Amino acid sequence: MNRVLSATIVAVVLLAGVAQARNIDLVTLPPRDTVQLTIYNSENLTLVRETRSITFKKGTNRLEFSWANTLIDPTSCYFRPLAHENEIEVLDTTFPQDRPEVLIWNVDSKFEGQVPVEVSYFTSGISWNADYVMVTNVAETTMALDGYVTVVNNSGEDYEGAQVRLVVGTVNLVEKIAQLAQPPMPAAAPAAPPTPMPVKAAARGAAMRMVLAEAEGTETPVAAGFAAPPKIVKEGLSEYFIFTVEGQQTVKTGWSQRMSSFRAREVPFDVLYRYRPHQYGDKPVRFFLLANDVPHKMGDSPLPDGMIRVFRENGRDGLTFYVAQSSKYISINEKIELNVGKDDQIVYERVVLDLGRQNFIYDENHKPEPIVVGWDETRKWQEEIRNYRQKPIKMEIRHVLPGDVTFGMEVPGLKLYDFHTAEYTLDLPASTKKKFTSDGAFHLGRNQKQNRVKLAGE
Amino acid sequence: MRRNRWLMGLVLAATALAVWAQPAAARIKLATLPVRERVEIQLENENATLVEEERVVTLLKGTNHIDFSWTNTQIDKWTILFRPLAVADTVRVINQSYPPGENALVWEVFADNAGPVKVRISYIIGNLRRNFSYRATAENSEKTLTLRTYMRVNNYSGEEFGMAGVWGGIAGIFQKEMGLQEAKEILVAKFAEVPITKKFIFNWQSGQRVPDEPNQRYVIMDYVLKNEGAKGAAAKPAAKPGEEATTLGTFPLPYGKVRIFVKDSKQPPNEAFLGEDWGQFTPIDDEMKLYLGQARDVKVERTVKKNDRTAIHGNLFSQEVIVQYKMQNFKKDALTLDIEEDMNALRNEFCGGGKDHEASWELLAQTTDKSKVERKSAQKVEIHVALPAAPKADEKKPDEVKKPDEVIFLLHLMFKNEW
Repeated sequence: MNRVLSATIVAVVLLAGVAQARNIDLVTLPPRDTVQLTIYNSENLTLVRETRSITFKKGTNRLEFSWANTLIDPTSCYFRPLAHENEIEVLDTTFPQDRPEVLIWNVDSKFEGQVPVEVSYFTSGISWNADYVMVTNVAETTMALDGYVTVVNNSGEDYEGAQVRLVVGTVNLVEKIAQLAQPPMPAAAPAAPPTPMPVKAAARGAAMRMVLAEAEGTETPVAAGFAAPPKIVKEGLSEYFIFTVEGQQTVKTGWSQRMSSFRAREVPFDVLYRYRPHQYGDKPVRFFLLANDVPHKMGDSPLPDGMIRVFRENGRDGLTFYVAQSSKYISINEKIELNVGKDDQIVYERVVLDLGRQNFIYDENHKPEPIVVGWDETRKWQEEIRNYRQKPIKMEIRHVLPGDVTFGMEVPGLKLYDFHTAEYTLDLPASTKKKFTSDGAFHLGRNQKQNRVKLAGE
Repeated sequence: MRRNRWLMGLVLAATALAVWAQPAAARIKLATLPVRERVEIQLENENATLVEEERVVTLLKGTNHIDFSWTNTQIDKWTILFRPLAVADTVRVINQSYPPGENALVWEVFADNAGPVKVRISYIIGNLRRNFSYRATAENSEKTLTLRTYMRVNNYSGEEFGMAGVWGGIAGIFQKEMGLQEAKEILVAKFAEVPITKKFIFNWQSGQRVPDEPNQRYVIMDYVLKNEGAKGAAAKPAAKPGEEATTLGTFPLPYGKVRIFVKDSKQPPNEAFLGEDWGQFTPIDDEMKLYLGQARDVKVERTVKKNDRTAIHGNLFSQEVIVQYKMQNFKKDALTLDIEEDMNALRNEFCGGGKDHEASWELLAQTTDKSKVERKSAQKVEIHVALPAAPKADEKKPDEVKKPDEVIFLLHLMFKNEW
């Protein structure tokens, strides 16, 4: 708090209990005792809850709260006593016209003495995101999986020694906090569009500087002396999941801080090749398949959406980088399918070996001669899979067959994925090639009575 | 080492001595500068280059701050990994922080004991790329060639790495000095006596027209080599020219330009440049085809001898076609010519274009030799025709001109059920 603290609270010791024009104030500056950040990554929104101790006198007490050069939503500022709740009440809140980014609470107290209070507000400019690092073993059978969360603070305010909570889930906002944080335009001001306050504006109010001097002695050391990475406690709450970072964290404005959110070791996974030309292009792509569950040594919390970077131990005491891919939110027990890209050593080819047409129907009324308006077409395909790798593979193949089609193939497990897609999975030993043939009978033109694939023999 | 300009360094700031709580622009540190002990550049992934470096950092007992910063380089800061080696249980990364407006990050590391610790730092770096190229030198007989594979590493990353291990994904690691703004071409492997097949191909649709000969197209030539060799033989890097040859078939051949030369019959032989082509990625046991150019000594004339239509009903018909290929080989060696036909294109020649259906066809009896017609698919056909060598001149009658025999091949087809 030695540098950038701007959201501050001032207890104005005045006998007069109303806000009025004045040039001389006598103030006390209660420092923050604790601060808690609850950061929502679905919106530019952070709930800040800070506690301070204030000494009240009986009668009306004026408290001034200011937040110069921050991104706080003034409509969200809320004051509540943490003790003597029945004796202390906010009578009104004033937003002085002549001083933006300030509010004054008139608080009626029937208690005299020191009381812990909580001030909470929304701010924008703080966000968090998740990312993951996967390192597979050489054989690509197990992986080490590390999850991280990174807190990014561009709010204009240093939050030191804060408890950090990260919310996984979406909230509905009818107005953006960053817009609400903009100071209202003076009535006489020209109609220029409002601009956000610069986050790192150099100008600071005099009150803030006074606070800095006083708050110096309460600073929490940056090197908090953790002997181990802080644990992140995961807890479900309504439709949200809250990750609470153990201990106190300091995130200065402009800085980002990345912390480990979980570690899983010896996580088993499967490798599956997929050939879906309509989805992934004309080459097979490789997937790593696992799940966010206990058998995969995870599953104690959802995995927030974030970038997954995949490496492989290269067997030479180093790593090979495979791919960086964004991942959607993964629920507990949900499967994880990671596309690690094309593999030039797995080749899939499919050609039409033969085709024929029959069962023609004609529009006999067409002049000068009847024309073909319906027919059946038979096709025989040859599919070849070549596995140039030195290990066996499993490949899942899908064919989209539009129209009215009967499809047949002598492979185990042939089934319909949907009404116009046939699917089958093949095992291929290391360094082998396999050929398969398949047949399709298409009813075309007026011969088409359906729009679906039927498997031969069903 | 131009550290004053191209700083990419690691500094260890002892907590007790660092004034850490200063703002980013005024971070004051007393730091040790651990040098790189080992660097390995992983170029296996053609889209992202991974650098792994090892340094020994001397840690204090307790909390340490390790500052990693870089200038004039494109490091993806979110890919940076920090891994203590051998002592992973006693050295723990607490967090890492990214200061504003700087290419830097700070690891907060806790050590149970004071002392030196070897750490490995990995990151993805930009502008450090590789590509592959080949030099193929065919023997005069064109039965074998020597294939040299090169990897060219272009270091425009803004950093010099000194002596670094360079791994391109094939054939081993090369210890090379990787200087700043430097390109280095490394001989990755040399394969001697690689068997090749020379193919002669005639394609009516894609072949270049012969001037003033509307029924002719130039024949093209390919070298075909197979990426196969002694099974189980380990790939051996040929770090020095002249080193013992490695065998093909131990790793895939990456995509790259192939410059092709051929030796003449002189002793010692000279080399002539035959041309160049892009060698496609070739897995083990697969073939690499290299386009050589046109074979002017093989002539093919394609004419249509029959084109009869038979109405079936309404607009439905069948079309009977005989295509004749008349070939002459003026080369002194016999060869096999591969004639490629696209049956859809052939059908369109005689049945009209703009069809919304594929050709359905049948091979008929007047085909010269059905066994020579290879059906690659319903649309692709290859006809393999043996052409004898041109006759040798009679020593007794040197002025007598002997023309090569004409070889005729008929392709007799029925396109069925067209409209």
